[in-house]
Amino acid sequence: MAESHGGGCCPPMDLMRSEPMQLVQVIVPMESAHLTVSYLGDLGLLQFKDLNSEKSPFQRTYAAQIKRCGEMARKIRFFKDQMSKAGVSPKLILEKGIDIDFDDVEVKLDELESELVEINANNDKLQRSYNELVEYKLLLDKAGEFFASAHRSATAQQSEIESQQEGEDTLESPLLQEDKSIDATKQVKLGFLTGLVPREKSMVFERILFRATRGNIFIRQSVIEESVVDPNSGEKAEKNVFVVFYSGERAKSKILKICEAFGANRYPFSEELGRQSQMMTEVSGRLAELKTTISAGLDQRNILLETIGDQFEQWNHKVRKEKAIYHTLNMLSLDVTKKCLVGEGWSPVFAATQIQDALQRAAVDSNSQVGSILQVLRTKEMPPTFFRTNKFTTAFQEIVDAYGVAKYQEANPTVFTIVTFPFLFAVMFGDWGHGICILLATMYLILREKKFSSQKLGDIMEMAFGGRYVIFMMSLFSIYTGLIYNEFFSIPYPLFASSAYDCRDTACSEATTIGLIKTRDTYPFGVDPVWHGTRSELPFLNSLKMKMSILLGVAQMNLGIMMSFFNAKFFKSAVNIWFQFVPQMIFLNCLFGYLSVLIIIKWCTGSQADLYHVMIYMFLSPMDDLGENQLFPNQKIVQLTFLFLALVSVPWMLLPKPFILKKQHEARHEGQAYAQLDETDESLQVETNGGGHGHEEFEFSEIFVHQLIHTIEFVLGAVSNTASYLRLWALSLAHSELSSVFYEKVLLMAWGFNNIFILIIGILVFIFATVGVLLVMETLSAFLHALRLHWVEYQNKFYEGDGYKFAPFTFTLVGNEDE
Amino acid sequence: MGFLVTTLIFIVVGIIAALCARICCNKGPSTNLLHLTLVMTATVCCWMMWAIVYIAQMNPLIVPILSETE
Repeated sequence: MAESHGGGCCPPMDLMRSEPMQLVQVIVPMESAHLTVSYLGDLGLLQFKDLNSEKSPFQRTYAAQIKRCGEMARKIRFFKDQMSKAGVSPKLILEKGIDIDFDDVEVKLDELESELVEINANNDKLQRSYNELVEYKLLLDKAGEFFASAHRSATAQQSEIESQQEGEDTLESPLLQEDKSIDATKQVKLGFLTGLVPREKSMVFERILFRATRGNIFIRQSVIEESVVDPNSGEKAEKNVFVVFYSGERAKSKILKICEAFGANRYPFSEELGRQSQMMTEVSGRLAELKTTISAGLDQRNILLETIGDQFEQWNHKVRKEKAIYHTLNMLSLDVTKKCLVGEGWSPVFAATQIQDALQRAAVDSNSQVGSILQVLRTKEMPPTFFRTNKFTTAFQEIVDAYGVAKYQEANPTVFTIVTFPFLFAVMFGDWGHGICILLATMYLILREKKFSSQKLGDIMEMAFGGRYVIFMMSLFSIYTGLIYNEFFSIPYPLFASSAYDCRDTACSEATTIGLIKTRDTYPFGVDPVWHGTRSELPFLNSLKMKMSILLGVAQMNLGIMMSFFNAKFFKSAVNIWFQFVPQMIFLNCLFGYLSVLIIIKWCTGSQADLYHVMIYMFLSPMDDLGENQLFPNQKIVQLTFLFLALVSVPWMLLPKPFILKKQHEARHEGQAYAQLDETDESLQVETNGGGHGHEEFEFSEIFVHQLIHTIEFVLGAVSNTASYLRLWALSLAHSELSSVFYEKVLLMAWGFNNIFILIIGILVFIFATVGVLLVMETLSAFLHALRLHWVEYQNKFYEGDGYKFAPFTFTLVGNEDE
Repeated sequence: MGFLVTTLIFIVVGIIAALCARICCNKGPSTNLLHLTLVMTATVCCWMMWAIVYIAQMNPLIVPILSETE
């Protein structure tokens, strides 16, 4: 199918077919290229084709610019990270008009980044010194305690020994004396090391020290109660203070190495009390200093971050916009000889003047000598599909697009879906009480539209808000069908007149055995209220709803086939009308249309004919007499006729179309072959053309198989799709049964106890069950099934849905990237 | 009798709704046609549902049999 040659059959209708699209070529001088793309992005009505698709990203014209933008985007991400860590939030854009220069932004970002990195490094260093000093202070405390107590016990011991020495006779215990004497000259010089070690490694540390030095050390550890921030890792850890006494240089080096391996920080410590207290005051002083310095540093950083935050959103937006512009510029091909860029793209026909305007404005604003040129190209490619939707129709169009985007200019199912989708939902949901609840919920969403559309909502809320108009329609139709089914939270009300049924006699003796009879006129609007709670309610409602489903289904399927007729008319394809539309209508209506008519006749006459029997034996033994299943005179002849027509229509839709298409194709290309015989120097080309049937392929077998599949799908689908509509009955039954169970078994039972607490609990359970099961789950369920009925049973009668959506270059989407 | 009257009522309501749509949102012929289509479809759907339920109750084959408990 080449360009659109449609129209003329019916007056044009909004949303029915895609906007006519055209392929345009834009020739832009180099100096106004950037501005042109920027204005076209603001306009948002041109979808650029990538003319440089064979080139790698590095070979493209503007690769360097994209790298610049990438760098700036990285810096912006870094800022955002730092801001969120520090708890500073960026200011939202209030003014849109101010245009900032791209190069300025780049320079500023550079400056700010280096400043921020420097401040961060300084802060880290200061923090580390602070932590070390804190550890040192703790060590001074604990080790000081230890040394003091050791000193005390040592002096106590010494004075004891001295007193013992004085009190004893030197002759009586000469050997002991020697042992006990503390010979100053023989005293070994002990060195010691102090530090902190993580608590979980302390036992292993001690053991390894012991083994490495062959037991020639003395180690004391003391626990620090509160956790300390480790200077290296910056995290809190439990530590112990340790003191190691050793003798000899080799032992010292071993101990040093082991300390390093265990990450134990060592600090100098002196034995004398005087030095200790001096160190203590020094450290405390330095700690206080550092604290003020660090807080000053943090303040400075926060000020810097706030200045960044003021301009953050603007810069962010600008960088993203520039990146998008350069990506688009990369798609244009460079015409070196003419010093200009050539771009191709799809745009709607109505937008041609707007694009011209944008091009002119850009040429003027960039002070270029030459203007830009816009010209329309002719092509056989299939254009993208573009529907102009407003906030109401967007949701419905998205529902249809989710199944498949319409082919260019084919009939859009959305037009009827706007009404039939909420209607079929309501047939499955019918309860006017529930409908009112959903209406209130969706009115809240609609009245707060402006506020919600500027906020960022969660996933589920976003979906519910996006579909607010769909849900609104669904609730309106639900109220209507609820009135028809006469269910208000499953309670019927005689709103329009009194019930049509009455007792057979004044005593009402047979009400529970044979039942009431219909004395007055039919209840004028909906189901008679007397039915609820009766023993024969289900047989009656089931029969009613099943027949209703069949009638609605046949109606919708006929509408689908009519849409295919409109398509055939639009694309001027007589083959499709006579050899597809007509046999399809005959087949569907001779069988299921006839069934629908029988249903209506049975209802109108009150006959007791068994319709299952009638339909099945119409196929099995069509020549038999109908007997008591006769609904109208000459029924047998009518049935035979319909059966014959249905059987004839199957080969009618299968066989002629492929042959006719083949003849059409040959007729089209016969002319070409004859024309080329005249040119003798292209005789070679004639053969290749004849062999390949020109640039259009025509495989007869493929067309035939395609038609065969289409026919089988339609014929078998007629039965299965009609039966599929019975889900309308099934879900409406489920809904009314659930609703009735919740009412009777929860609310009425709670009422029966005559206790206020049980009543309140019962009401709460009723409310939660109604909202959770009926208003949420049943809504989703009926939504899904109505959707399936549209996507499969309705759309497979006419919809091809293999187009692609129009995705213009626009800046409104730029804001939502990488979030 | 009641059937014809109510069908007429549906037709009248449909015409009124179409006129209201034309009066309050008159935005060009193609848009007007879309609105008219929507109103007509809605009227036809609603009428069909009402008609089916009404005709089904005109000559009933099953009668309500009240249950034992009152």
